[in-house]
Amino acid sequence: MNICELRLNQNARIVSIEMFNKKIRNHFLEMGLVKNTPIKIIKIAPMGDPISIEIRGYELCLRKEDAKKIKVEVYR
Amino acid sequence: MKIALIGNQNSGKTTLFNNLTGMNQKIGNWPGVTIEKKVGRIKGTNHELIDLPGIYSLTPYTIEEKISRDFIIENKIDLIINIVDATSLERSLYLTTELLDLDVQVVIAVNMIDRLNAKGISINTEKLKERLGVEVCEISALKGKGIDNLIKKISMISIQKNNQIKIFPRDVEETIYNIQNRIESIKHKRYMALEVLKNSNLNSIKILQEKIQKNYNMDIEETLITLRYEYISRIKNECITKIKNTKNISRTLDKIFLNKFLAIPIFAVIMFFIYYLSVGLVGTYTADLVKNSIDGFRIFIQELLEAINLSNWIISLICDGIITGVGSVLSFLPQLCMLFLSISLLEATGYMSRIAFLLDKLFRKLGLSGKALIPFIVGSGCSVPGIMASRIMEDQYDRKVVTILTPLVPCSAKLPIIALFTGYFFKENYGIIATSFYLLAIVIIIISSLLMKKLLHKKYTSTYISELPEYKIPTIKYVLREVWDRVKEFIKKAGTLIFVSSIVVWFLLSFSIDLKYGGEIENSILAFIGKKIAWIFYPIIGVNSWEVSVSALQGLIAKEQVVSSMEIISGLSKDLKVPFEIFGNGSPFEFFNKASSYAFVVFNLFSAPCFAAISTMKKELGNIKQTIFAILFQTSIAWCLSLILYNLLKVIL
Repeated sequence: MNICELRLNQNARIVSIEMFNKKIRNHFLEMGLVKNTPIKIIKIAPMGDPISIEIRGYELCLRKEDAKKIKVEVYR
Repeated sequence: MKIALIGNQNSGKTTLFNNLTGMNQKIGNWPGVTIEKKVGRIKGTNHELIDLPGIYSLTPYTIEEKISRDFIIENKIDLIINIVDATSLERSLYLTTELLDLDVQVVIAVNMIDRLNAKGISINTEKLKERLGVEVCEISALKGKGIDNLIKKISMISIQKNNQIKIFPRDVEETIYNIQNRIESIKHKRYMALEVLKNSNLNSIKILQEKIQKNYNMDIEETLITLRYEYISRIKNECITKIKNTKNISRTLDKIFLNKFLAIPIFAVIMFFIYYLSVGLVGTYTADLVKNSIDGFRIFIQELLEAINLSNWIISLICDGIITGVGSVLSFLPQLCMLFLSISLLEATGYMSRIAFLLDKLFRKLGLSGKALIPFIVGSGCSVPGIMASRIMEDQYDRKVVTILTPLVPCSAKLPIIALFTGYFFKENYGIIATSFYLLAIVIIIISSLLMKKLLHKKYTSTYISELPEYKIPTIKYVLREVWDRVKEFIKKAGTLIFVSSIVVWFLLSFSIDLKYGGEIENSILAFIGKKIAWIFYPIIGVNSWEVSVSALQGLIAKEQVVSSMEIISGLSKDLKVPFEIFGNGSPFEFFNKASSYAFVVFNLFSAPCFAAISTMKKELGNIKQTIFAILFQTSIAWCLSLILYNLLKVIL
């Protein structure tokens, strides 16, 4: 599943980033979105897009179209 | 020593820079781009400090990152001060570990420890120092704490690079060592080796790449980034302890400010408040005040100069040219200060990042970021601060497009034009017609941004990836400091051009074509030019009139000049009637009708803005070529639109 399928505040872990554009993918990785990193959605913009995720203790905003490419698995 | 200051965005870097250098700094631009470059001298020392743009890594993803990387690699830097945000330690340390790969000594300044503590988390900086092998200082940039200690540590440090720490697993480190030994460059061998490992197409390197990729089951770039973060996670676990659970105030605030139903109304109220403060209250009140004082000053100087019997043209040059020109710059200042204050507060509190988050979906359709709304709103007061507000956007493309589009928003100086024509020709429907100009502006901006997207946007893949910083209480001292810096910059750069162009227009208006001073306006050089270009206006007003072209040209000094020029010219016409009317019988403007007046207003609203706005545009765009493009773009839109409207309205009305 991808990030967008998570419920608000549901804990998950990154499995992979499936992005064709290497430059953007590497940027995501460098911002800390690497494999096995805990992640959760904490805010959704009033118009439904973009979303804000918590990662490594900070908040990162991204558009849903990009977020869809980040595959995650839920953990408890 | 030459020292570079480097760190993530929102890490308090600029505040630290101000703390370290005091008033001792120069603001300029990085070559070829409009990204601010600040250089200063560290208080009480001879060390030169260069403020590098806020970045997240040394991989050139953004222009800022490219500038920073190139600067560090290509210049002889003796020391790097790396500011680290304690509240996002892992992300900050990513950049830190990259910096440690370079052959430059690094000092780490850990900022915002108080904020971390407030979250119930403590940090062990001694441990951090031990693990990273470099000097670590605790500071609070906002409160000015730990700065002296940092300066002391800098002065004591030896420039000799410490041993580089090995952050990767053994097999990767061996590969790096292997490549390092084959590299001929003397400096930054470890960094270069990593670059080669990531990017080289050499067969011998490819074999090494594939070996690592097979071991870690990811491509080489992902492997290196992931391993780096694994190392950082270990450091973080050793240095950071959670003491107690506290409520996250930012999250609570965002439940209100980013609430599904409240967010947009709150945003609208904040925007209205800023507009009201800078354009409404301060704008109208102080603009008149400044104008009156300048008028008073001008009359005073005029009498003084007449008393000492200077020749007329010198008095006119000083009073009508220079004082009026400089005065036009000064009359913006109160508005500008108020506006910069509002923007600084929005940025310092962290609300600015929320605006982008809020409106991204809407503006994405136009190929712009959500923050684009702010320059447009501000621009309805005055284009100059509006254009300068385009700087709040990180993206170069966004900045460029918004700079070109902001002058299309009817500014308050264009109101007299709307009032004059609408009041005379559309008396019954004044409200509707006046509003229609604003609606037209919105339509044009939407169409233009879509057009720009097509024209300039081809290679560009737009993404919005932005950190959402926590809310902060701003320090008045630093907010005021920032306002002062921006205002100073405006006076210095835009002021000069306005000054020069006012003198030029004064000259064109005061001298005849055979360079005699003080003739009728009809014989001035400007009127001569007006006659030559009257054909441009023929298709949109249906008449060849030098009076109209001269008036429109004077709009370049300030848009309200269009009206005063028309008043002067019609006042000078021979069969003066009492009460005198600009559009009355015998006036050179009596030919205007509903269709041509609407078209002429439209032309004035959307054509090239005043010199003040043009020079601000040039400053933001960074070069003449794009400024000319912008002016031509605006003027051709204005001309085409008024042509269409004139012919359409001629038939309808």
